[in-house]
Amino acid sequence: MSTRDKPNQQEPDSERFSSIKTKNKYRNNYRKNKLLFLFFKPKEQKKNTHYKTPNPKSRILSRSIPNSNPIMLTVIVKWQKEVFKAVEIDTSQPPYVFKCQLYDLTGVPPERQKIMVKGGLLKDDADWSTVGVKQGQKLMMMGTADEVVKAPEKGPVFMEDLPEEEQVVSLGHSAGLFNLGNTCYMNSTVQCLHSVPELKSALVKYSHSGRSNDLDQTSHMLTVATRDLFGELDKSVKPVAPMQFWMVLRKKFPQFGQLHNGAFMQQDAEECWTQLLYTLSQSLRSPGSSENLDTVKDLFGIELASRIHCQESGEESSETESVYSLKCHISHEVNHLHEGLKHGLKSELEKASPALGRSAVYLKESRINGLPRYLTIQFVRFFWKRESNQKAKILRKVDYPLELDVYDLCSDELRKQLEGPRQVLRDEEGKRLGLKANEKSSGSKDDDVKMTDAEGSSNASGESSVTISQEGVPSDKETRLTGIYGLVAVLTHKGRSADSGHYVAWVKQESGKWIEFDDDNPIPQREEDIVKLSGGGDWHMAYICIYKARTVLM
Amino acid sequence: MSDPKSGAGTFQTKAPTKEPEKKDEEHLSEEDLALKQQLELYVERIQDPDPGLQKVALESVRHEIRTSTSSMTSVPKPLKFLGPHYGTLKAFYETMPESDLKKYLADILSVLALTMSAEGERESLKYRLLGSEGDIGSWGHEYVRNLAGEIAEEFMKQQSEEAPIEDLTELVRQIVSFHMKHNAEPEAVDLLMELQVDDLELLVQDVDNTNFKRTCLYLTSTARYLPGPDDMLALDIAYTLYLKFAEFANALQIALFLDKMQYVSQVFTSCDNLLRKKQFCYILARHGITFELDDEMAAEDDDREVLQDIINNIKLSESYLILARDIEVVEPKSPEDIYKAYLLDGRASAGASVDSARQNLAATFVNAFVNAGFGQDKLMTIPSDSSSGASSGNWLFKNKEHGKTSAAASLGMILLWDVDSGLAQIDKYLHSNDKHVIAGALLGVGIVNCGVKNHCDPALALLSEYIGNEDSSIQIAAIMGLGIAYAGAQNEQICSSLTPLLNNARTPLDVISFTAISLGLIYVGSCNEEVAQAIIFAVKYRSESELGEPLTRLLPLGLGLLYLGKQESVEATAEVSKTFNEKIRKYCDMTLLSCAYAGTGNVLKVQNLLGHCAQHLEKGESHQGPAVLGIAMVAMAEELGLEMSIRSLEHLLQYGEQNIRRAVPLALGLLCISNPKVNVMDTLSRLSHDTDSEVAMAAVISLGLIGAGTNNARIAGMLRNLSSYYYKDASLLFCVRVAQGLVHLGKGLLTLNPYHSDRFLLSPTALAGLVTMLHACLDMKAIVLGKYHFVLYFLVLAMQPRMLMTVDENLKPLPVQVRVGQAVDVVGQAGRPKTITSFQTHSTPILLASGDRAELATEKYIPLSPILEGHVILIENPEYREDS
Repeated sequence: MSTRDKPNQQEPDSERFSSIKTKNKYRNNYRKNKLLFLFFKPKEQKKNTHYKTPNPKSRILSRSIPNSNPIMLTVIVKWQKEVFKAVEIDTSQPPYVFKCQLYDLTGVPPERQKIMVKGGLLKDDADWSTVGVKQGQKLMMMGTADEVVKAPEKGPVFMEDLPEEEQVVSLGHSAGLFNLGNTCYMNSTVQCLHSVPELKSALVKYSHSGRSNDLDQTSHMLTVATRDLFGELDKSVKPVAPMQFWMVLRKKFPQFGQLHNGAFMQQDAEECWTQLLYTLSQSLRSPGSSENLDTVKDLFGIELASRIHCQESGEESSETESVYSLKCHISHEVNHLHEGLKHGLKSELEKASPALGRSAVYLKESRINGLPRYLTIQFVRFFWKRESNQKAKILRKVDYPLELDVYDLCSDELRKQLEGPRQVLRDEEGKRLGLKANEKSSGSKDDDVKMTDAEGSSNASGESSVTISQEGVPSDKETRLTGIYGLVAVLTHKGRSADSGHYVAWVKQESGKWIEFDDDNPIPQREEDIVKLSGGGDWHMAYICIYKARTVLM
Repeated sequence: MSDPKSGAGTFQTKAPTKEPEKKDEEHLSEEDLALKQQLELYVERIQDPDPGLQKVALESVRHEIRTSTSSMTSVPKPLKFLGPHYGTLKAFYETMPESDLKKYLADILSVLALTMSAEGERESLKYRLLGSEGDIGSWGHEYVRNLAGEIAEEFMKQQSEEAPIEDLTELVRQIVSFHMKHNAEPEAVDLLMELQVDDLELLVQDVDNTNFKRTCLYLTSTARYLPGPDDMLALDIAYTLYLKFAEFANALQIALFLDKMQYVSQVFTSCDNLLRKKQFCYILARHGITFELDDEMAAEDDDREVLQDIINNIKLSESYLILARDIEVVEPKSPEDIYKAYLLDGRASAGASVDSARQNLAATFVNAFVNAGFGQDKLMTIPSDSSSGASSGNWLFKNKEHGKTSAAASLGMILLWDVDSGLAQIDKYLHSNDKHVIAGALLGVGIVNCGVKNHCDPALALLSEYIGNEDSSIQIAAIMGLGIAYAGAQNEQICSSLTPLLNNARTPLDVISFTAISLGLIYVGSCNEEVAQAIIFAVKYRSESELGEPLTRLLPLGLGLLYLGKQESVEATAEVSKTFNEKIRKYCDMTLLSCAYAGTGNVLKVQNLLGHCAQHLEKGESHQGPAVLGIAMVAMAEELGLEMSIRSLEHLLQYGEQNIRRAVPLALGLLCISNPKVNVMDTLSRLSHDTDSEVAMAAVISLGLIGAGTNNARIAGMLRNLSSYYYKDASLLFCVRVAQGLVHLGKGLLTLNPYHSDRFLLSPTALAGLVTMLHACLDMKAIVLGKYHFVLYFLVLAMQPRMLMTVDENLKPLPVQVRVGQAVDVVGQAGRPKTITSFQTHSTPILLASGDRAELATEKYIPLSPILEGHVILIENPEYREDS
């Protein structure tokens, strides 16, 4: 007992503990003395209510002390990195008492204690004489008062356990589509349109019974088939066979059912795209209102304001129209998508001139007056070659960007509307890049914006202003379009004519990764490889692109 | 041995014939002419009947020969001029009566025979034996060399003809002592080995302070190429020599190589310096054997306790963390830090939103391997008080069912060697109500105690409680934990509690398999009869269908481990194994053979195993897998054999059956463990794209093994690309992840190489751990990818810090400058050759790559260990003077 109280009895092991710890130790020792004392005088137990009294068992045990001369052993107990020197064992008491002593020292409840004596555990009711503890022996105690680890109530769900359809989510992309015999044009079209979530949700809302009277049966069936196919694509891990869709498509548009040498012919994907979208636009009109509030138009419709000018007579007229895609005409001067688009917005047409009384050449110049959420761009790569009697392909390389700005293709009216959101977007980006956004008023506009500005105003002089259609830019404090678009899907063609070769869809997933959907085989791709599909060789080249609008909240 | 002969040969060809001599005569200088005439006169005088005259003449000739100093490239002049008279003198010799003079003449003839005698006649030796047996060295070095060559020839002839062996001993003794005196220790050793290895003892009397080091070095390195049991004898001599000259550390290494515990004890008793003894303890600790000191080895109780603590690796964790702090890699790494997915371009799969159990398991292993021994990580040891219990438990429960076992056990890996805090952290999992978690905690207890022996035997105390548990997964974990914690300990208490399991007919097969492995590990290389019997019994009483189970392969391996490196001792058991069921007989045979000769470099056994691989099997037997691994196990002993077997494996790859091809990558992995040789790396990289997915998996794992603990950037890059290549294949991706974890094992501070001390010693427990893991990988799909993935933790047995930590007399780290470079083989080189090349100077503690050697860059200290690896105690050099 006396050695315990010497202050310089510390081992180097315990030296690293702070002095507070040391004090605690002494206090513990003191408590232990008290506790030991307790066992001999059970009456005093009440005073120590501060401690959770081990349990009534000890009281019983202490009552039954037969030996008047208990043999006391002093042992060293090691617990974690602490060493308790000179812990006394009363060998007349069962080891449980010893454990209670240790409880006092360490705070580990006796039932959590494991005391190791030479390769064995000390049992609560063992006999000290059989355990064979010697004076000064080192014992090791294991145990913590830590909370026992419990399994979380709701265990995690593992991919391996999921039903197949839910594994898709974890794959990070949807399934591929089986080629049913030259149906790659259809597959790639479906995959590209499938990448538009708004279209998906609109289709989900479309119900079987919701067929409006003016819709024909086949359109209805095609819409349902599209909906089901999209659903299947989302659920399945394995490639899907679009049997139903294929059948309905042929029924609705018999031209796709053409046979050649007993097999279905390869078709133009653009045709399929246009027809499908047209059908959907018919069927997905909101049934509630009689107005032309149709989803497809809302998503893809581009409002064009055109000025038709006859040079001979000087006549001028203007008209507006709504199209689903912008055409990128490819001529010798066109190296970039932007040039092609500009080209596509100018056309010559011959029509009867009331002033001249004969047909004359009119020049038609169009500008965008309303932007969609999804901008579809078609590269006019195919032209009818009379000699070979097929749609021949222009292989010219036309670069297209991952981010497209159509500001300078817009009408003045629209530009004014875009100005604000664009500024916000620029500021946001500036902020992201660490620039300060406080110079709004001082005209920190980009040079090219100014330039296009000037250009636009000179061109657009005298042009009739057309009100923006409601689906273009919502005027409320909501998401506003900026005229800047990000590439989300590319439909490419490989081969020399539209009715041959191979169509593939390249779709950006929500995670930002690009997947090449080559029929039933989805292949991950790098973003930088996507812009390489610009043509100029025999590799896949972009035929139809979908750009998604970048919006800002205002 | 060819040197003396070829030397003699050059002399003979140069021996002048009559005609050129005449021409030469014209060019002779006056001096030479005089000498020539003088010698001719002597020759005549020798033939004189007057003995007095004869004697004078003989002595004069002798004097002439001895004093003729000449360069080694030309024949000494007297010999040249006496040459023509060789025949005459020989003839005269025959006519002479027995006398001292005749012996004198014999001596001279013996010398003349050096240049004159026809090849194969061995006349030099003949006349030497007839001669006066005077000081052999007086005739010059070349003469002695020639004589040694002739002795060897003679001896070979005598042996082949079984003619009675003439007594050459006296002559040999003379030659040996001459060689030993003249810096030609290899020649002396060669000569003695040529005759009979027993004779090597002759060396002992001739060795002195100056030449014993070179002698011993030559003995130890030639021992590798000697057929048994000669190698043992050679090493025995080296041991005796080291002991004689008080180079105890070297003696200890040889004792460990011979695996003779009485030698180890002898080293301890012979040495009375406590510091040196501490150094011995460090060597023993690195070797990973269990050794109990007694009163004789260390008289003082306190000293003994300190020494025993070193052997028991009590402070290993501490030094490891000091190393980590010095190298600044304490910061825990998460699996994502290892995967480095951001370096991959878009091809990597999208960040999965749902946990994949398999990939989480892979992350668990990566986390365990990378943070091994550091005591902290980012998944398991996050302090539990953060945000209401949502902590370490979290990751644990992100693993599925048996995955939780590996996850809980990974805690043991992270807290490796730190028994005190390890047990404290694992404790709470023992109270879980999930059997997989309990199992993992038990395994973790075993892993924490791997290589560390605590006087309280906490692992034994805790784990033995669970051996009889009714749940087999808990049982297996407890048994495996015991095997890992007590590998090599030969603990009888464990044996007596485990063997009944083997004999119990109701024990499930997987429990039996792991029991056999654990017993094999605990009694590794002990040839213990009792354990062997128990395992044999277990094999014999398995039903035919059970023998087809994938885990059954662990039974023969358990048996094999008992004889690891014990060569012939296995034979009795190998005989018994022939009575096994046909299904497992050959498998067992191969396993036993490969284990018994593991690390011996025995060429015959390699050929034997290759022979088994050359057969084309029709019955779908599986014994070729262990045979291929066996080639690696046997051949890994030394560099030459290793290179050769890499080439042989290449052939097996081309011509072998599928089951061979699957084992080849693993064998390559073992051969180059933690030693990324570029050619092997390329082979494995090629195989990792193999069409057979099992070959690819084995290759991927092996890429991890050869790069284990090296942080090798090239392998890391390869694996990263593989991870995107196999992003769809969950099994292969798992293997890639595990391999990535292995490459960054212990953040590059650890090695898996079972060889240490300059590639001289083979740690039996480390090899046993590796081999067990590799055998399990032979059936990747059923074992590692099944629910026994925790077999990967057997690697912990081979994990050792690849450090050099210099400590002072109080065993506190002492930073000194050391040069680290590629080791150079200096065996048999004269003088004091450089032992390392292209070195860099660093301050300790440092990391040593495979093939690296370190030497002190300062004279201020003297290391107590001849090989600077692991812990080395430095003492101040009393002769050191600070340069002013």
